[in-house]
Amino acid sequence: MRRVAIVQGEYHVVYQPGVVISTLLGSCVAACLQDPVARVGGMNHFLLGEPGADVPVNPADMQRYGVHAMELLINDLMKRGAQRSRLRGHLYGGANIVAGLGGIGTKNGQFARNFMRTEGIALDHCDLGGTQARKVEFMPYEGRVRATLVQDQPLPPVERPRPAPVAQPTGELELF
Amino acid sequence: MPAASAIKVMVVDDQTSMRAMIRRALQDLGFKDIRDKAGPVEALAAIKADRVHLIISDYNMPDMDGLQFLEAVRQDPVIGKTVFIMLTGSADKEIVQKAAALGVNNYVVKPFAPAALKEKIERVFGELV
Repeated sequence: MRRVAIVQGEYHVVYQPGVVISTLLGSCVAACLQDPVARVGGMNHFLLGEPGADVPVNPADMQRYGVHAMELLINDLMKRGAQRSRLRGHLYGGANIVAGLGGIGTKNGQFARNFMRTEGIALDHCDLGGTQARKVEFMPYEGRVRATLVQDQPLPPVERPRPAPVAQPTGELELF
Repeated sequence: MPAASAIKVMVVDDQTSMRAMIRRALQDLGFKDIRDKAGPVEALAAIKADRVHLIISDYNMPDMDGLQFLEAVRQDPVIGKTVFIMLTGSADKEIVQKAAALGVNNYVVKPFAPAALKEKIERVFGELV
């Protein structure tokens, strides 16, 4: 069995048997999506739903936002044979572990639920909210997910998206 | 300097949430006439029936991809000169080169911040007011 751990801003797609994707969540949310016919699936881990209109964000940090993290995951699944209409999902995380953060976990959970509803993706299981961290393990090929509450394990530090720099090289092609 | 409010935009993306996010970003830039469609086929029909100045289209769509959509727009004698900005994935340099050959006006790499979209639109239209 092969294990792949992801952290905030990352996603991973699997189409082989015997691979476990895992992550540790506090207020962040992980979406586990699977196409049970194509037997391909993947998990992401995002920090916030979407950036505020007036919040400058470093482009490199954009995939920490759910709206982009979900698209990257779905696009990769479709490249590997999944069909959007067959996707089924599980959502985990969105805990309010630290008081005074304005219910950020609740907002993340709401974003994730709204996204699944808006995009018409079947939601098989939802384990969001509460005040405890979760460890999530997902076997995409087999379509199995396990989430356990974690009490005494330190969470990875939450890295807020950095302010956008004045100018930075993007590595883009300069065609225009 | 063009007024954003005078520019008619068509946003094409198969993901509803992404269309909504782009719509909000455009509204924040002052755009008023924003239409959106989930795929190129519907978008082409809508644009031919009621022309727009700017098309912002995703590349990765299930039935017709962004390059095919761009080609269809450029080959149309009526809407062929419409400004076309494509949204691509970060690893899609080959796609950007193909899009450039087909006459794309600019492109934005996903995931993108609203400021990046503004910059790319302004490179085509000039500074928006």
